[in-house]
Amino acid sequence: MITFDNRSHDPYYNLAFEEYVFEQFPNDEIFLLWQNSPCVVVGSHQNICREVHMPSLRRLHIPVVRRSSGGGTVYHDLGNVNYTYITASDGMVDYERCMQPVIEALNAIGVPAGKNRTCDIAIGQQKISGSAQRMSKGRVLHHGTLLFQSDLAVLDRITTHHKNDCFQTKGTLSDICSVTNICEHMNRSMTVAEFQQRLLDAMLPPGSAYLELTAQQRAEVCRLRDEKYHSWQWTWGMTPAFVYEKSGQYAGMPICVRYRAKKGIVSDAQIECAGIDAGQAAAALNGTRLDPDGFYAICCALSPDRADELMDCLM
Amino acid sequence: MEKKITMPKLRPEMRSGVLCAWLKEEGETVTAGEPLFEIETDKVVNQIEATESGVLKKQLFEEGDTVDVETAVAVLEMK
Repeated sequence: MITFDNRSHDPYYNLAFEEYVFEQFPNDEIFLLWQNSPCVVVGSHQNICREVHMPSLRRLHIPVVRRSSGGGTVYHDLGNVNYTYITASDGMVDYERCMQPVIEALNAIGVPAGKNRTCDIAIGQQKISGSAQRMSKGRVLHHGTLLFQSDLAVLDRITTHHKNDCFQTKGTLSDICSVTNICEHMNRSMTVAEFQQRLLDAMLPPGSAYLELTAQQRAEVCRLRDEKYHSWQWTWGMTPAFVYEKSGQYAGMPICVRYRAKKGIVSDAQIECAGIDAGQAAAALNGTRLDPDGFYAICCALSPDRADELMDCLM
Repeated sequence: MEKKITMPKLRPEMRSGVLCAWLKEEGETVTAGEPLFEIETDKVVNQIEATESGVLKKQLFEEGDTVDVETAVAVLEMK
């Protein structure tokens, strides 16, 4: 088994990093540990706006990143440790095989964790880890979160309290689970850095190689980060087609917003509200990209004094 | 000759999968081993590859559709 040291906390870079090693080291069994600064990570085929309240995240400057594996939406911060396990696959889905070594490593360092549901790790009935996979070319990339000392209040607020039911759409929905932090269940206290080091040592068999990417390989990761994970095309263009419809209040008046989006492009937009110029709104929205910054700019043009309030009606 | 590519059964418990994305358009040439479409089931995204070379004749489902296992998803016209 080999591991690569990656100290970056940039979620876009880190997702590019794991995709790069998945693609470029096709003959190795690989285990990675890495951390992201606060961000929301969504599954490959999820509708971001249905999972989280985008206007709030935009105001909080919390980025939303799309990963290439399946599954639901998770919140990451520096109290969370991510692991990636890459190995050969016969094409069958087998979470047990990928999770069992991680559970054993956790047990070895004093975390009383066990498997729960198909792809979760829990302490008792409380989830500490969710995982997802991507399979391609006879290989599987299995990755998961490990809540060590995350801010669970923020996690709860972002991932469970703002589900948006204004959508008619297909696409993957997230589950809502009761969670706990690993550090609450350990006999002796340790820092997240120590937890990472001990987990890595417990996970890697003796003789495993601890590697770093070369400068040239890191440049390739940066290229993948910029061309894929930072791109509108990947983050928003991949949104499954949907119809959005929301009724609410704007400036003390009733408002009804409707639009469709396919491949991230808005059509059939209608805003019915006495305080908004319907023609101007339709013209601004139709053909535009589903994009929080772009939507906010439209809100500023339509309603210079109440852009945030209008934005809350639009996504 | 035509060949149908079906929704694979990736776990014994799997009943259906979501066809997430077409990676080839109708009429496009496909080489054996190239990914044809992407499916999702049980939080796994899996690229389904063409087992033989040919032309993608028909996409039988749309992106986002849930498809029962062993149901035909694509028709390949073999050379």
